[in-house]
Amino acid sequence: MSEWLRGEGWIYWARQEDGSLKPIRWLHEYSLCLLFLLLLVVADFLVPDFVSHRSQLLLSRPLWEIAILALGMTLIIITGGIDLSVGSAMGMCAITFGWVFFQTQSATLAGLACIVVGGLGGMINGTLVARLRIHPLIVTLATYAVFRGIAEGASQGREYSPFPDTFTQLARKIWLGIPLPGVVFLILVVAVALLLHRTATGRYLYAIGHNERAARFSGVRVDRVKFGLYTFSGLLAGVATVLHVSRFGTARANAGTGFELDVVTAVIVGGTSIFGGRGNVVGTMLGLLLIHETRQFVSLYWRINELNSIVVGTLLIVSILIYRILARRDVS
Amino acid sequence: MRVPEQRHSILDQREWSLVILIVLVTLVVSWVDSGFLAAGNLKDILVRCAPTAIVCCGVMLVIVTGEIDISVGSLMALLAAIMGKLMSVDHAQLPWGLAAVLTLLAGACVGTVTGALVAWGSVPSIIVTLGLLTSFRGLSTLLMGGENIAGLPPSLTELAKQGPGGVPLGVWVALAVIGVQYVLIRHTALGRRLFAVGSSQYASVMTGLSTRRLKLFAFAYTGFLTALATLVEVPRLPMIEAGIGREFELLVVTCVVVGGVSIAGGRGTLWGVLLAVLLMTMIRPVLTFLELGEAGEKWTKAIQGAFILTAVVSDSLFRRRSRTEAEK
Repeated sequence: MSEWLRGEGWIYWARQEDGSLKPIRWLHEYSLCLLFLLLLVVADFLVPDFVSHRSQLLLSRPLWEIAILALGMTLIIITGGIDLSVGSAMGMCAITFGWVFFQTQSATLAGLACIVVGGLGGMINGTLVARLRIHPLIVTLATYAVFRGIAEGASQGREYSPFPDTFTQLARKIWLGIPLPGVVFLILVVAVALLLHRTATGRYLYAIGHNERAARFSGVRVDRVKFGLYTFSGLLAGVATVLHVSRFGTARANAGTGFELDVVTAVIVGGTSIFGGRGNVVGTMLGLLLIHETRQFVSLYWRINELNSIVVGTLLIVSILIYRILARRDVS
Repeated sequence: MRVPEQRHSILDQREWSLVILIVLVTLVVSWVDSGFLAAGNLKDILVRCAPTAIVCCGVMLVIVTGEIDISVGSLMALLAAIMGKLMSVDHAQLPWGLAAVLTLLAGACVGTVTGALVAWGSVPSIIVTLGLLTSFRGLSTLLMGGENIAGLPPSLTELAKQGPGGVPLGVWVALAVIGVQYVLIRHTALGRRLFAVGSSQYASVMTGLSTRRLKLFAFAYTGFLTALATLVEVPRLPMIEAGIGREFELLVVTCVVVGGVSIAGGRGTLWGVLLAVLLMTMIRPVLTFLELGEAGEKWTKAIQGAFILTAVVSDSLFRRRSRTEAEK
């Protein structure tokens, strides 16, 4: 093992003068911070007014939905799983939202229904992963198709709009200087961080990701924890959909297409190990910010949209490659 | 590790359940509309199978070594753009034979780079190929500059539509690839080693296998086969556009997994994968023949997904039962 794994963050070892090894903690998070600041400085230099509060607020609009999904994804990846169905679940939730709204004319009911459907979708994933012990990649690949298919079939290509202004203004409402979706995200972040770092369940997640068998033998209810996680991820997809529909003012079957890739990318760049057992919320948030700002910078500076995906894809590979190389050298 | 030689019957349980599913679906559809069994329609299904089968052969090997490749769809788009730029009358106008060779070479090179990142860079393959999935899609759109590429040499498009014996070139190529794959898996040391690496990486290192080189081979081969599939499939389309191969990687991985290849590596059969390709490809024509109308068409994806879920869940239940029986 090239690095010792401890859950809180990536740990690297530096050799001291007397030959002993001293751990450097939070190196990954520090370097992400550094990278992020560097990006901001360069971006502000090249694109006038990039860092100002106002332009950041405008730019941040697409960020929140991805950010909310990333929270659930972080937890799932820490246990060594993955959820590729979140984007499709959003499609299903969006159609539910639209349908319920135009049946009842109540945004509250529609929002609740939307979150419930998300949760149900998550429960299907959870049952298959935890009860039947099918590999999460396979399960969520299948539900990726099923959820989007249900959305397409049920909507028959319709899109639900218009929604009343009070609802569509929700995503634009500013509260204490932060847009409302951001407030929702911050509440969720605090909750998830507390769960992960201050409760026994949080520690179990790392235990499962490290060694599922060992966790099972130590009395961790692995199946129950996993079921809960996938359900939680589905619920978050519902929440993200409410914000998404509010932002666009229409509910369509293609809501959230491709989001799963962005979410996984952010979580991985944030230092969560795809094999499980390592990662934290701080890293994920930094990963999100880094990718988001990179995207904005690229599209503002070069004004070529295709470049965006190339840069983000490369960022993903390179960030992991660098850490692999670093980790190998420190110990040898 | 289950090596092909140890098998007692031609098909194992998983493959039988796929066969039964395929037969059932065929029976139901031909009962509704006997036109389904017409030679023309069956040929059409085979032609649709070809590119998926070709790429599945490569991705199967990657998954057998315990890695995964989810970049093939975008790679196809990138290679299609390269191919179009090289041979179209509006662009470089190279002779199509030369352009084809260059495209194949490009595919193999990209596959090699992917493999090197996984094997020597020790970046998890799902991360590498996820990154490449995003990058290739952007790269191909960039390369095409927002325009579709038309004007492929007519001799190639003719061959792709009506090859030797009136059968499109893709089917012949797919048959050849399957033949090679069969020999590779059953009769060569290389094939056995790929399975060995997947079933126990540690044991393979201890027995002196170069796991890195083997993985590199699997990825490079997949890149090459993707280029091959691009060459036979894309000329059949009216023009090259940016959406080519979207979600193709999902179809391929689904086929391989439904076909019984273990995602953990080391286990899987060629027949299972091919049957799964047939099943997954059948779904769309089947739905057309069932005449569900426009409303039904929209449910295609859900039904496809339901098929995948059924295949995966039934297999897991089967395996569970046989495991508990073995424990008794």
